[in-house]
Amino acid sequence: MSLTSERLDRIQPSLTIAISTVARRMIAEGKNVISLSQGEPDFDTPRNVKDAAIRALEEGQTKYTDVSGTPALRKAVAEKFKRDSGIEYKPEEIIISTGAKQVLFNAMLSTLNAGDEVIIPSPCWVSYPDIVTLADGKPVLVPCSQNNGFKMRAEDLEAAITPKTRWFMLNNPCNPTGAGYSAEDLRPICDVLLRNPHVWVLTDDIYDSLVYDDFKPSTIVAVEPKLKDRTLTVHGVSKAYAMTGWRIGFAGGPVALIKAMDKLQSQSTSNPNSIAQAAAVEALTGQQETVEDMRRVFEERRNLVVSMLNQAQGVHCSTPEGAFYVYPSIQGCIGKTSKGGKPIKDDEAFALALLDEEGVATVHGAAFCYPGYIRISYANATEELREAMTRIQRFCQGLH
Amino acid sequence: MPGFASRLSRVELAASVRMTIKARELRAAGKPVITLTTGEPNFDSPPHAIEAAHQAALKGDTKYPPQDGTRALKEAIRAKFKRDSNLDYALDEICVSNGAKQAIFNAIMATVDPGDEVVIPVPSWIAYTQMVQLCEATPVLVTCPQNNGFKPRAEDIDAAITPKTKWLILNNPNNPTGACCSAEELEAIAKVMRKHPHVWIMSDDMYEHLVFDGFRHTTVAQIAPDLKDRTLTVSGVSKTYAMTGWRVGFVVGPKNLIKAMTVMQGHVTAGISTVGQAAAVAAMTGPQDGVDEQIRAYKRRRDVAVEMLNASPGISCHKPEGAFYVFPNVAGLLGKTTTGGRKLNTDEDVCLALLEEQYVAAVHGAAYHMSPYLRISTATADEDLVEGLRRIQTFCEGLT
Repeated sequence: MSLTSERLDRIQPSLTIAISTVARRMIAEGKNVISLSQGEPDFDTPRNVKDAAIRALEEGQTKYTDVSGTPALRKAVAEKFKRDSGIEYKPEEIIISTGAKQVLFNAMLSTLNAGDEVIIPSPCWVSYPDIVTLADGKPVLVPCSQNNGFKMRAEDLEAAITPKTRWFMLNNPCNPTGAGYSAEDLRPICDVLLRNPHVWVLTDDIYDSLVYDDFKPSTIVAVEPKLKDRTLTVHGVSKAYAMTGWRIGFAGGPVALIKAMDKLQSQSTSNPNSIAQAAAVEALTGQQETVEDMRRVFEERRNLVVSMLNQAQGVHCSTPEGAFYVYPSIQGCIGKTSKGGKPIKDDEAFALALLDEEGVATVHGAAFCYPGYIRISYANATEELREAMTRIQRFCQGLH
Repeated sequence: MPGFASRLSRVELAASVRMTIKARELRAAGKPVITLTTGEPNFDSPPHAIEAAHQAALKGDTKYPPQDGTRALKEAIRAKFKRDSNLDYALDEICVSNGAKQAIFNAIMATVDPGDEVVIPVPSWIAYTQMVQLCEATPVLVTCPQNNGFKPRAEDIDAAITPKTKWLILNNPNNPTGACCSAEELEAIAKVMRKHPHVWIMSDDMYEHLVFDGFRHTTVAQIAPDLKDRTLTVSGVSKTYAMTGWRVGFVVGPKNLIKAMTVMQGHVTAGISTVGQAAAVAAMTGPQDGVDEQIRAYKRRRDVAVEMLNASPGISCHKPEGAFYVFPNVAGLLGKTTTGGRKLNTDEDVCLALLEEQYVAAVHGAAYHMSPYLRISTATADEDLVEGLRRIQTFCEGLT
């Protein structure tokens, strides 16, 4: 008897296990490891948000809430979408879940039948293809090259669409590349989608408050309101408000889809934590200055990291529009040997040798379905980043 | 609009949720509704749990937690199983989820393939069959008749098992009947299960602490240690500590199964809310006297409910060992007509008429796979419960 179900067997084991195992061992041995691998802000949750949680505790908001979230939070989310993206959602067009990940899981399980295809621009967060696979769907990865800023071209999207396409999933700005699509970038993509009414559209905008320079974030429904009745706009408080551990994600979308997702959630987890929901209301409706404070710090770090990476031999780093990641190419290092004598045959070997010899933990590109690169999270203190970049430069200098 | 998944058509919104929503609508319209539908204690969460959540938020315990739960909570769970059931589990044999519901969902999703069978004694919580159907597997229902105290008979379980059976799901004490198997009854079931080594056993012990009259709760892994390596034991803090909204459930079992479930959870929600986990640690390791007080209240209410229901013409109510439900038989009401002129053909008719004519909300037995019954929750303030039961008496007396 096989222990696990076929659907679970279809999922590849995590590609980051080797690296995280080594990193944990080195930390346990007392080695100085700078971690640039985490997908969460290094900031603390804002005080007003914590205070709101504490008020909710004192008021005894410790009972089941509606499966799809409290009316107060759904209202706050509707206001957030209106304020930040200019999109109008009614409370019944909104669902709250235990992290944006659960939103994706609900959406895919609610809509995919065996063999349905889901178009995912790569590099991508590996959970996208994994969740599609779990739901019996087939991920169709469309490579988005560095020389196009890691952004999907409308013609590549069009070429990937078949009669079996059920979803197009966009992450804007993107984890792991930080690539952000402006309204102009989205226009031709929306045109392709308009021509293909059998396709649902998911836009995961969880990083869209973290954008830099003069970049103006936009989103599918804002660019093309005609797509609203088949678009799911996904967001959450984790990244913008440094609230990863609270586990609150949400989405706006057509009532029929939200209802289907609500039904699924009612039979899998029920509501997200009630206190965290109260905290999320304050995050979305309270003071927004800390978001801007964090954004400014991230922008400085991004500039530092990009400039120092581009001074490392064999590394080529684009300047992304948003998120807190950069995704440098290390293709110029492949085929060489490290100072410690390790052959750098691919991006994973690069990341492992960098960790082992310089104590810098990153994630290799293959873990984002796009090898030849590494992902560097700059959600870390500026001084730590400077030190880590110096180490990367030294590491690359030592390659021969 | 693009389409939905066929798996979703096999899933429905829980009837208890539907009745609760209906009751809320009537209340919003100004009607004096008494809600006996919810599976949620009317008590407050323990003050030390609230304080622990408060401290966790303040000290910045707000980052992504490990996917299988924080170490502190897993230690508390380990100690709980040792203390309550003399069972030893290692930390990698424990997983924390967004409510016990998710623990069960993870287990089913991680192990059940289309065409597999899952044996479920009924009446049962509806989520079991829904989750099985979501996996395109077949729930095989085993009737637990009222004249056997709503408990499964070992021979009926034996007869239901086929080569395709993947799981037996036991719920002790049971939602909706409150029935709880004794050690001897579990031993008889264990004896049958020894003959079927291909079947996993899930013991959902969510209500384990809520038992009355000196009844001792035991669980399969405890009374049949030889079955421990294929038994999953589920529990949580929601019912024992009045912490429903916090969404913290947990499961212990063999390492390989827990690992597969953790992988599944990694794709559904990842780790669960940190403040909820901190509160759960405090609830489980702190003073337990609040629990005893609540058990006394539930026993008192059970006794009142059983007595008043049996005094209602046409109703016969069994006295259960535990949980906070009673499950009266309403066969004697069918075929009659209410004072409002409604003809009662099914238990659902009884429920709807009770709500619309007496403003008492209960859930009909069909929602738990056994008719004609009602599920009455005693997790209701004493005076509301008594008033609700009085109205049920009035309702029954008015039938012609």
